[in-house]
Amino acid sequence: MTKTVIQFAILFIVLVLAQAIVFNNICLFNVAVPFVFIYFIIRLPITLNANWVLTLSFLLGLTVDVFSNTQGMNALACTLLAISRRGILHLYFPREDEISNPEPSVRSLGLFVYVRYLLTLTLLYCLLIFAIESCSFFMPVLLVLRVVCSTLLSFLLLLGLDILISQYD
Amino acid sequence: MRSLIDFLIKYSKWFVCLFYVLVSCILLFETNPYQHYVFLTSANRVSAECLSFSANVTSYFHLHDINEDLQLRNASLEMEVTQLRRQLRRLREDLKEESLRSDSIAPQFDFQLAHVISNSVSRTHNYITIEKGSLDSIEPEMGVVDQNGVVGIVNVVGRNSARVISLLNPKMRLSCKVKGRSDFGSLVWDCKNPHEALLEEMPRHERFQPGDTIVTSGYSAVFPEGIPVGTILSYENAHNNNFYTLRIKLFTDFTTLSTVRVLRNKLGSELSEISAGEEDE
Repeated sequence: MTKTVIQFAILFIVLVLAQAIVFNNICLFNVAVPFVFIYFIIRLPITLNANWVLTLSFLLGLTVDVFSNTQGMNALACTLLAISRRGILHLYFPREDEISNPEPSVRSLGLFVYVRYLLTLTLLYCLLIFAIESCSFFMPVLLVLRVVCSTLLSFLLLLGLDILISQYD
Repeated sequence: MRSLIDFLIKYSKWFVCLFYVLVSCILLFETNPYQHYVFLTSANRVSAECLSFSANVTSYFHLHDINEDLQLRNASLEMEVTQLRRQLRRLREDLKEESLRSDSIAPQFDFQLAHVISNSVSRTHNYITIEKGSLDSIEPEMGVVDQNGVVGIVNVVGRNSARVISLLNPKMRLSCKVKGRSDFGSLVWDCKNPHEALLEEMPRHERFQPGDTIVTSGYSAVFPEGIPVGTILSYENAHNNNFYTLRIKLFTDFTTLSTVRVLRNKLGSELSEISAGEEDE
Protein backbone atom coordinates (compact mmCIF):
# COMPACT_ATOMS: atom_id res chain seq x y z
CA MET A 1 0.00 0.00 0.00
CA THR A 2 2.69 2.49 1.09
CA LYS A 3 4.78 1.42 -1.88
CA THR A 4 1.94 2.26 -4.26
CA VAL A 5 1.41 5.66 -2.66
CA ILE A 6 5.10 6.51 -2.99
CA GLN A 7 5.14 5.26 -6.57
CA PHE A 8 2.21 7.48 -7.50
CA ALA A 9 3.70 10.46 -5.66
CA ILE A 10 6.90 10.08 -7.68
CA LEU A 11 4.88 9.65 -10.89
CA PHE A 12 2.96 12.86 -10.06
CA ILE A 13 6.12 14.93 -9.56
CA VAL A 14 7.96 13.49 -12.54
CA LEU A 15 5.00 13.99 -14.90
CA VAL A 16 4.35 17.58 -13.76
CA LEU A 17 8.03 18.49 -14.14
CA ALA A 18 8.27 16.77 -17.53
CA GLN A 19 5.18 18.63 -18.71
CA ALA A 20 6.35 21.98 -17.33
CA ILE A 21 9.94 21.81 -18.50
CA VAL A 22 9.84 19.77 -21.71
CA PHE A 23 6.41 19.16 -23.18
CA ASN A 24 4.96 22.64 -22.62
CA ASN A 25 7.59 23.94 -25.02
CA ILE A 26 6.59 21.54 -27.77
CA CYS A 27 4.02 22.56 -30.34
CA LEU A 28 4.45 20.66 -33.60
CA PHE A 29 3.34 22.56 -36.75
CA ASN A 30 1.51 24.99 -34.45
CA VAL A 31 -1.26 22.42 -33.89
CA ALA A 32 -0.03 19.38 -31.97
CA VAL A 33 0.54 19.87 -28.23
CA PRO A 34 1.51 16.83 -26.12
CA PHE A 35 -0.34 16.31 -22.82
CA VAL A 36 1.70 13.72 -20.98
CA PHE A 37 0.69 14.38 -17.38
CA ILE A 38 -2.75 12.79 -17.83
CA TYR A 39 -0.93 9.46 -17.64
CA PHE A 40 -1.25 9.86 -13.86
CA ILE A 41 -5.06 9.91 -14.10
CA ILE A 42 -5.02 6.99 -16.53
CA ARG A 43 -2.95 4.85 -14.19
CA LEU A 44 -4.79 5.55 -10.89
CA PRO A 45 -6.18 2.25 -9.50
CA ILE A 46 -9.79 1.49 -10.40
CA THR A 47 -10.55 0.49 -6.83
CA LEU A 48 -9.53 3.91 -5.51
CA ASN A 49 -12.39 5.96 -4.04
CA ALA A 50 -13.89 8.33 -6.65
CA ASN A 51 -13.45 11.31 -4.33
CA TRP A 52 -9.73 10.64 -4.15
CA VAL A 53 -9.47 10.27 -7.92
CA LEU A 54 -11.21 13.62 -8.35
CA THR A 55 -9.08 15.37 -5.73
CA LEU A 56 -5.80 14.05 -7.12
CA SER A 57 -6.80 14.91 -10.68
CA PHE A 58 -7.85 18.40 -9.71
CA LEU A 59 -4.54 18.96 -7.89
CA LEU A 60 -2.63 17.60 -10.87
CA GLY A 61 -4.42 19.97 -13.23
CA LEU A 62 -3.92 22.90 -10.88
CA THR A 63 -0.19 22.20 -10.56
CA VAL A 64 0.21 22.08 -14.32
CA ASP A 65 -1.83 25.30 -14.53
CA VAL A 66 0.57 27.02 -12.16
CA PHE A 67 3.53 26.10 -14.33
CA SER A 68 1.94 26.96 -17.66
CA ASN A 69 -0.10 30.03 -16.62
CA THR A 70 -3.46 28.69 -17.72
CA GLN A 71 -5.58 29.53 -14.61
CA GLY A 72 -7.91 26.62 -14.02
CA MET A 73 -8.01 25.32 -17.59
CA ASN A 74 -6.16 22.08 -16.95
CA ALA A 75 -7.77 21.75 -13.52
CA LEU A 76 -11.24 21.83 -15.07
CA ALA A 77 -10.33 19.40 -17.85
CA CYS A 78 -8.64 16.99 -15.40
CA THR A 79 -11.66 16.99 -13.06
CA LEU A 80 -14.00 16.21 -15.95
CA LEU A 81 -11.63 13.52 -17.21
CA ALA A 82 -11.50 11.93 -13.76
CA ILE A 83 -15.28 11.79 -13.40
CA SER A 84 -15.69 10.11 -16.81
CA ARG A 85 -12.77 7.66 -16.41
CA ARG A 86 -14.75 4.95 -14.65
CA GLY A 87 -17.54 5.09 -17.23
CA ILE A 88 -15.15 4.78 -20.17
CA LEU A 89 -13.34 1.86 -18.61
CA HIS A 90 -16.66 0.16 -17.90
CA LEU A 91 -17.62 0.62 -21.56
CA TYR A 92 -14.65 -1.42 -22.77
CA PHE A 93 -14.24 -3.75 -19.82
CA PRO A 94 -17.60 -4.57 -18.18
CA ARG A 95 -16.27 -7.41 -16.01
CA GLU A 96 -14.61 -5.16 -13.47
CA ASP A 97 -14.42 -7.73 -10.68
CA GLU A 98 -12.30 -10.04 -12.82
CA ILE A 99 -9.37 -7.62 -12.98
CA SER A 100 -6.29 -9.11 -11.33
CA ASN A 101 -4.45 -5.84 -10.73
CA PRO A 102 -6.48 -2.70 -9.91
CA GLU A 103 -4.14 -0.45 -11.90
CA PRO A 104 -5.19 -0.16 -15.55
CA SER A 105 -2.31 -1.47 -17.66
CA VAL A 106 -1.61 -3.73 -20.62
CA ARG A 107 -1.15 -6.65 -18.25
CA SER A 108 -4.37 -6.22 -16.30
CA LEU A 109 -6.70 -5.23 -19.16
CA GLY A 110 -5.13 -6.83 -22.20
CA LEU A 111 -3.49 -4.87 -25.01
CA PHE A 112 -6.60 -4.22 -27.11
CA VAL A 113 -8.81 -2.90 -24.31
CA TYR A 114 -6.00 -0.87 -22.77
CA VAL A 115 -5.06 0.86 -26.02
CA ARG A 116 -8.69 1.80 -26.66
CA TYR A 117 -9.03 3.06 -23.08
CA LEU A 118 -5.87 5.13 -23.45
CA LEU A 119 -6.90 6.57 -26.81
CA THR A 120 -10.40 7.46 -25.61
CA LEU A 121 -9.14 9.26 -22.52
CA THR A 122 -6.50 11.15 -24.52
CA LEU A 123 -9.07 12.20 -27.11
CA LEU A 124 -11.49 13.26 -24.39
CA TYR A 125 -8.82 15.32 -22.67
CA CYS A 126 -7.76 17.09 -25.87
CA LEU A 127 -11.40 17.78 -26.71
CA LEU A 128 -12.01 19.23 -23.25
CA ILE A 129 -8.89 21.37 -23.10
CA PHE A 130 -9.30 22.88 -26.57
CA ALA A 131 -13.03 23.40 -26.06
CA ILE A 132 -12.30 25.28 -22.84
CA GLU A 133 -9.57 27.25 -24.55
CA SER A 134 -11.83 28.20 -27.45
CA CYS A 135 -14.46 29.64 -25.07
CA SER A 136 -12.65 32.92 -25.50
CA PHE A 137 -11.58 32.35 -29.06
CA PHE A 138 -13.30 30.22 -31.67
CA MET A 139 -11.97 28.89 -34.98
CA PRO A 140 -13.67 25.59 -35.88
CA VAL A 141 -11.19 24.21 -38.44
CA LEU A 142 -8.15 24.95 -36.32
CA LEU A 143 -9.93 23.54 -33.28
CA VAL A 144 -10.62 20.16 -34.94
CA LEU A 145 -7.10 20.03 -36.34
CA ARG A 146 -5.63 20.81 -32.92
CA VAL A 147 -7.74 18.16 -31.19
CA VAL A 148 -6.86 15.44 -33.70
CA CYS A 149 -3.14 16.21 -33.95
CA SER A 150 -2.69 16.69 -30.21
CA THR A 151 -4.53 13.46 -29.50
CA LEU A 152 -2.29 11.52 -31.86
CA LEU A 153 0.91 13.05 -30.49
CA SER A 154 -0.09 12.61 -26.85
CA PHE A 155 -1.28 9.07 -27.53
CA LEU A 156 2.03 8.07 -29.12
CA LEU A 157 4.02 9.62 -26.28
CA LEU A 158 1.82 7.96 -23.64
CA LEU A 159 2.18 4.60 -25.35
CA GLY A 160 5.96 5.02 -25.34
CA LEU A 161 5.90 6.07 -21.69
CA ASP A 162 3.77 3.06 -20.90
CA ILE A 163 6.22 0.64 -22.50
CA LEU A 164 9.07 2.34 -20.64
CA ILE A 165 7.32 2.07 -17.28
CA SER A 166 6.01 -1.46 -17.73
CA GLN A 167 9.59 -2.67 -18.13
CA TYR A 168 10.33 -1.61 -14.55
CA ASP A 169 7.20 -3.17 -13.08
CA MET B 1 -31.74 13.22 8.45
CA ARG B 2 -30.27 9.77 8.18
CA SER B 3 -31.45 9.39 4.62
CA LEU B 4 -30.03 12.83 3.76
CA ILE B 5 -26.60 11.77 5.00
CA ASP B 6 -26.92 8.48 3.11
CA PHE B 7 -27.83 10.45 -0.01
CA LEU B 8 -24.84 12.75 0.44
CA ILE B 9 -22.46 9.85 0.92
CA LYS B 10 -23.88 7.89 -2.01
CA TYR B 11 -23.54 10.76 -4.45
CA SER B 12 -20.51 12.36 -2.82
CA LYS B 13 -18.39 12.03 -5.96
CA TRP B 14 -20.78 14.24 -7.91
CA PHE B 15 -20.68 16.91 -5.20
CA VAL B 16 -16.90 16.73 -5.06
CA CYS B 17 -16.77 16.96 -8.86
CA LEU B 18 -19.13 19.93 -8.88
CA PHE B 19 -17.03 21.67 -6.25
CA TYR B 20 -13.80 21.27 -8.24
CA VAL B 21 -15.48 22.33 -11.47
CA LEU B 22 -16.75 25.47 -9.74
CA VAL B 23 -13.31 26.27 -8.32
CA SER B 24 -11.67 25.86 -11.73
CA CYS B 25 -14.36 27.94 -13.41
CA ILE B 26 -13.83 30.77 -10.91
CA LEU B 27 -10.12 30.66 -11.73
CA LEU B 28 -10.79 30.38 -15.45
CA PHE B 29 -13.21 33.28 -15.73
CA GLU B 30 -11.30 35.65 -13.47
CA THR B 31 -11.24 38.52 -15.94
CA ASN B 32 -9.06 41.13 -14.29
CA PRO B 33 -5.53 40.25 -15.42
CA TYR B 34 -3.89 42.19 -12.58
CA GLN B 35 -5.62 40.40 -9.72
CA HIS B 36 -4.36 36.82 -9.87
CA TYR B 37 -2.99 35.15 -6.79
CA VAL B 38 0.75 34.98 -7.03
CA PHE B 39 0.90 31.36 -5.86
CA LEU B 40 -1.39 30.28 -8.70
CA THR B 41 0.82 31.69 -11.43
CA SER B 42 4.31 30.83 -12.60
CA ALA B 43 5.57 33.81 -10.55
CA ASN B 44 5.54 31.71 -7.37
CA ARG B 45 8.80 30.55 -5.91
CA VAL B 46 8.76 26.80 -6.53
CA SER B 47 7.72 27.00 -10.15
CA ALA B 48 10.06 29.92 -10.79
CA GLU B 49 12.99 27.88 -9.50
CA CYS B 50 12.12 24.84 -11.66
CA LEU B 51 11.58 27.02 -14.71
CA SER B 52 14.79 28.97 -14.23
CA PHE B 53 16.67 25.67 -13.93
CA SER B 54 15.36 24.55 -17.32
CA ALA B 55 15.87 28.03 -18.79
CA ASN B 56 19.51 27.82 -17.74
CA VAL B 57 19.88 24.78 -19.96
CA THR B 58 17.80 25.89 -22.92
CA SER B 59 18.98 29.50 -23.07
CA TYR B 60 22.09 28.38 -24.98
CA PHE B 61 20.07 27.07 -27.91
CA HIS B 62 19.12 30.44 -29.38
CA LEU B 63 22.37 32.29 -28.72
CA HIS B 64 23.31 32.38 -32.38
CA ASP B 65 20.11 34.13 -33.47
CA ILE B 66 20.18 36.48 -30.51
CA ASN B 67 23.77 37.42 -31.22
CA GLU B 68 22.92 38.24 -34.82
CA ASP B 69 19.98 40.37 -33.68
CA LEU B 70 22.19 42.26 -31.25
CA GLN B 71 24.87 42.90 -33.88
CA LEU B 72 22.30 44.40 -36.23
CA ARG B 73 20.72 46.47 -33.50
CA ASN B 74 24.14 47.64 -32.34
CA ALA B 75 25.06 48.74 -35.82
CA SER B 76 21.86 50.71 -36.32
CA LEU B 77 22.18 52.35 -32.89
CA GLU B 78 25.77 53.36 -33.64
CA MET B 79 24.60 54.99 -36.86
CA GLU B 80 21.91 56.83 -34.94
CA VAL B 81 24.32 58.01 -32.27
CA THR B 82 26.76 59.48 -34.82
CA GLN B 83 23.92 61.19 -36.62
CA LEU B 84 22.47 62.64 -33.42
CA ARG B 85 25.90 63.80 -32.29
CA ARG B 86 26.42 65.64 -35.53
CA GLN B 87 22.97 67.21 -35.24
CA LEU B 88 23.57 68.23 -31.63
CA ARG B 89 26.90 69.80 -32.50
CA ARG B 90 25.35 71.81 -35.32
CA LEU B 91 22.49 72.99 -33.06
CA ARG B 92 24.96 74.02 -30.38
CA GLU B 93 26.92 76.02 -32.92
CA ASP B 94 23.73 77.72 -34.09
CA LEU B 95 22.68 78.63 -30.57
CA LYS B 96 26.26 79.64 -29.67
CA GLU B 97 25.73 78.85 -26.01
CA GLU B 98 25.16 75.98 -23.64
CA SER B 99 21.42 76.56 -23.47
CA LEU B 100 20.60 72.86 -23.59
CA ARG B 101 20.54 71.91 -19.94
CA SER B 102 21.05 68.30 -19.23
CA ASP B 103 17.98 67.96 -17.01
CA SER B 104 15.66 69.23 -19.74
CA ILE B 105 16.35 66.08 -21.72
CA ALA B 106 16.63 63.71 -18.73
CA PRO B 107 15.14 60.33 -19.56
CA GLN B 108 11.68 59.73 -18.17
CA PHE B 109 12.20 55.95 -18.24
CA ASP B 110 14.98 53.76 -16.95
CA PHE B 111 15.23 50.03 -17.38
CA GLN B 112 16.29 46.82 -15.71
CA LEU B 113 17.54 43.69 -17.45
CA ALA B 114 15.74 40.42 -16.69
CA HIS B 115 16.10 36.87 -17.95
CA VAL B 116 13.11 35.06 -19.40
CA ILE B 117 12.65 31.70 -17.67
CA SER B 118 9.45 30.55 -19.29
CA ASN B 119 7.63 31.58 -22.39
CA SER B 120 4.91 30.23 -24.66
CA VAL B 121 3.71 31.16 -28.13
CA SER B 122 1.37 28.29 -28.99
CA ARG B 123 -1.57 28.96 -26.68
CA THR B 124 -4.32 31.50 -27.12
CA HIS B 125 -3.31 33.31 -23.91
CA ASN B 126 0.45 33.47 -23.66
CA TYR B 127 2.46 34.60 -20.67
CA ILE B 128 6.17 35.09 -20.02
CA THR B 129 7.90 34.55 -16.68
CA ILE B 130 10.96 36.64 -15.85
CA GLU B 131 13.57 36.14 -13.17
CA LYS B 132 13.14 39.46 -11.33
CA GLY B 133 10.46 40.23 -8.76
CA SER B 134 9.46 42.62 -6.02
CA LEU B 135 12.94 42.34 -4.44
CA ASP B 136 14.28 44.00 -7.59
CA SER B 137 11.45 46.55 -7.30
CA ILE B 138 9.47 45.19 -10.23
CA GLU B 139 5.82 46.28 -10.01
CA PRO B 140 2.67 45.37 -11.91
CA GLU B 141 1.91 47.42 -15.04
CA MET B 142 5.53 48.04 -15.95
CA GLY B 143 6.33 47.76 -19.64
CA VAL B 144 8.66 45.05 -20.97
CA VAL B 145 10.70 45.38 -24.17
CA ASP B 146 13.61 43.50 -25.74
CA GLN B 147 16.30 44.69 -28.14
CA ASN B 148 13.89 44.57 -31.09
CA GLY B 149 10.62 45.89 -29.77
CA VAL B 150 7.72 45.62 -27.36
CA VAL B 151 7.27 42.34 -25.44
CA GLY B 152 4.46 42.87 -22.92
CA ILE B 153 3.35 44.26 -19.56
CA VAL B 154 4.16 42.88 -16.08
CA ASN B 155 1.00 41.67 -14.35
CA VAL B 156 1.77 39.43 -11.38
CA VAL B 157 4.85 39.95 -9.21
CA GLY B 158 6.33 37.42 -6.79
CA ARG B 159 9.40 37.93 -4.62
CA ASN B 160 11.98 36.72 -7.11
CA SER B 161 9.99 36.38 -10.30
CA ALA B 162 7.21 38.07 -12.18
CA ARG B 163 4.71 37.12 -14.85
CA VAL B 164 4.38 39.24 -17.96
CA ILE B 165 1.33 39.33 -20.25
CA SER B 166 2.84 38.73 -23.64
CA LEU B 167 1.83 40.78 -26.65
CA LEU B 168 0.60 37.41 -27.93
CA ASN B 169 -2.42 37.49 -25.62
CA PRO B 170 -5.86 38.82 -26.56
CA LYS B 171 -6.15 40.35 -23.08
CA MET B 172 -3.37 42.76 -23.97
CA ARG B 173 -4.11 45.86 -26.04
CA LEU B 174 -1.33 48.23 -26.96
CA SER B 175 -1.85 51.76 -28.21
CA CYS B 176 0.25 52.19 -31.39
CA LYS B 177 0.65 54.59 -34.29
CA VAL B 178 2.41 54.76 -37.62
CA LYS B 179 5.84 56.32 -37.18
CA GLY B 180 5.74 60.02 -37.94
CA ARG B 181 1.94 60.29 -37.84
CA SER B 182 -0.37 61.15 -34.97
CA ASP B 183 -3.41 58.90 -35.48
CA PHE B 184 -3.33 55.88 -33.27
CA GLY B 185 -5.02 52.48 -33.05
CA SER B 186 -4.83 49.52 -30.75
CA LEU B 187 -2.70 46.47 -31.40
CA VAL B 188 -4.17 43.08 -30.55
CA TRP B 189 -3.11 39.52 -31.32
CA ASP B 190 -5.48 37.32 -33.32
CA CYS B 191 -4.20 33.99 -31.89
CA LYS B 192 -2.96 32.71 -35.24
CA ASN B 193 0.70 33.40 -35.90
CA PRO B 194 3.28 34.37 -33.24
CA HIS B 195 5.00 36.70 -35.73
CA GLU B 196 1.93 38.74 -36.70
CA ALA B 197 -0.72 40.85 -34.97
CA LEU B 198 -3.56 43.22 -35.93
CA LEU B 199 -3.64 46.97 -35.49
CA GLU B 200 -7.32 47.88 -35.21
CA GLU B 201 -9.27 51.12 -35.29
CA MET B 202 -6.96 53.05 -37.58
CA PRO B 203 -8.92 56.00 -39.03
CA ARG B 204 -9.95 55.61 -42.68
CA HIS B 205 -8.67 58.95 -43.89
CA GLU B 206 -5.06 57.91 -43.33
CA ARG B 207 -3.03 56.38 -46.14
CA PHE B 208 -0.68 53.54 -45.32
CA GLN B 209 1.99 51.70 -47.22
CA PRO B 210 2.98 48.10 -46.52
CA GLY B 211 6.40 48.35 -44.90
CA ASP B 212 5.62 51.41 -42.77
CA THR B 213 6.95 51.15 -39.23
CA ILE B 214 4.55 50.93 -36.29
CA VAL B 215 5.67 52.38 -32.94
CA THR B 216 4.06 52.80 -29.51
CA SER B 217 2.00 55.96 -29.17
CA GLY B 218 3.10 56.93 -25.66
CA TYR B 219 -0.50 57.65 -24.58
CA SER B 220 -0.14 55.42 -21.54
CA ALA B 221 2.39 55.63 -18.74
CA VAL B 222 3.59 52.10 -19.51
CA PHE B 223 5.63 52.60 -22.68
CA PRO B 224 7.42 55.75 -23.87
CA GLU B 225 6.57 57.04 -27.31
CA GLY B 226 8.36 55.56 -30.28
CA ILE B 227 9.33 52.07 -29.22
CA PRO B 228 9.28 49.97 -32.40
CA VAL B 229 6.54 47.33 -32.64
CA GLY B 230 6.50 46.08 -36.22
CA THR B 231 5.92 46.85 -39.88
CA ILE B 232 2.69 46.87 -41.91
CA LEU B 233 2.15 43.75 -44.00
CA SER B 234 -1.28 44.52 -45.46
CA TYR B 235 -4.50 46.30 -44.58
CA GLU B 236 -8.16 45.50 -44.85
CA ASN B 237 -11.47 47.20 -44.09
CA ALA B 238 -13.03 46.51 -40.73
CA HIS B 239 -16.65 45.37 -40.55
CA ASN B 240 -18.14 48.77 -39.94
CA ASN B 241 -16.01 50.37 -42.69
CA ASN B 242 -15.06 53.39 -40.60
CA PHE B 243 -11.69 52.04 -39.63
CA TYR B 244 -8.86 50.12 -41.18
CA THR B 245 -7.43 46.99 -39.68
CA LEU B 246 -3.73 46.59 -40.41
CA ARG B 247 -1.83 43.32 -40.30
CA ILE B 248 1.49 43.89 -38.57
CA LYS B 249 4.67 41.87 -38.72
CA LEU B 250 6.12 42.08 -35.21
CA PHE B 251 9.78 43.00 -34.71
CA THR B 252 10.05 40.96 -31.53
CA ASP B 253 10.71 37.28 -32.13
CA PHE B 254 8.75 35.69 -29.29
CA THR B 255 10.02 32.21 -30.10
CA THR B 256 13.61 33.07 -29.14
CA LEU B 257 13.07 35.51 -26.29
CA SER B 258 15.93 35.35 -23.76
CA THR B 259 16.74 38.69 -22.10
CA VAL B 260 14.27 41.52 -21.77
CA ARG B 261 14.27 45.01 -20.30
CA VAL B 262 11.65 46.10 -17.78
CA LEU B 263 10.86 49.79 -18.09
CA ARG B 264 10.27 51.96 -15.05
CA ASN B 265 8.42 55.20 -15.59
CA LYS B 266 9.97 57.71 -13.18
CA LEU B 267 6.95 59.96 -13.52
CA GLY B 268 4.55 57.02 -13.10
CA SER B 269 3.39 57.82 -9.58
CA GLU B 270 3.02 61.50 -10.45
CA LEU B 271 0.92 60.68 -13.50
CA SER B 272 -1.35 58.31 -11.61
CA GLU B 273 -1.84 60.94 -8.89
CA ILE B 274 -2.91 63.42 -11.53
CA SER B 275 -5.37 61.03 -13.14
CA ALA B 276 -6.70 60.02 -9.71
CA GLY B 277 -7.26 63.70 -8.97
CA GLU B 278 -9.19 64.08 -12.23
CA GLU B 279 -11.47 61.23 -11.30
CA ASP B 280 -12.23 62.76 -7.92
CA GLU B 281 -13.48 65.99 -9.45
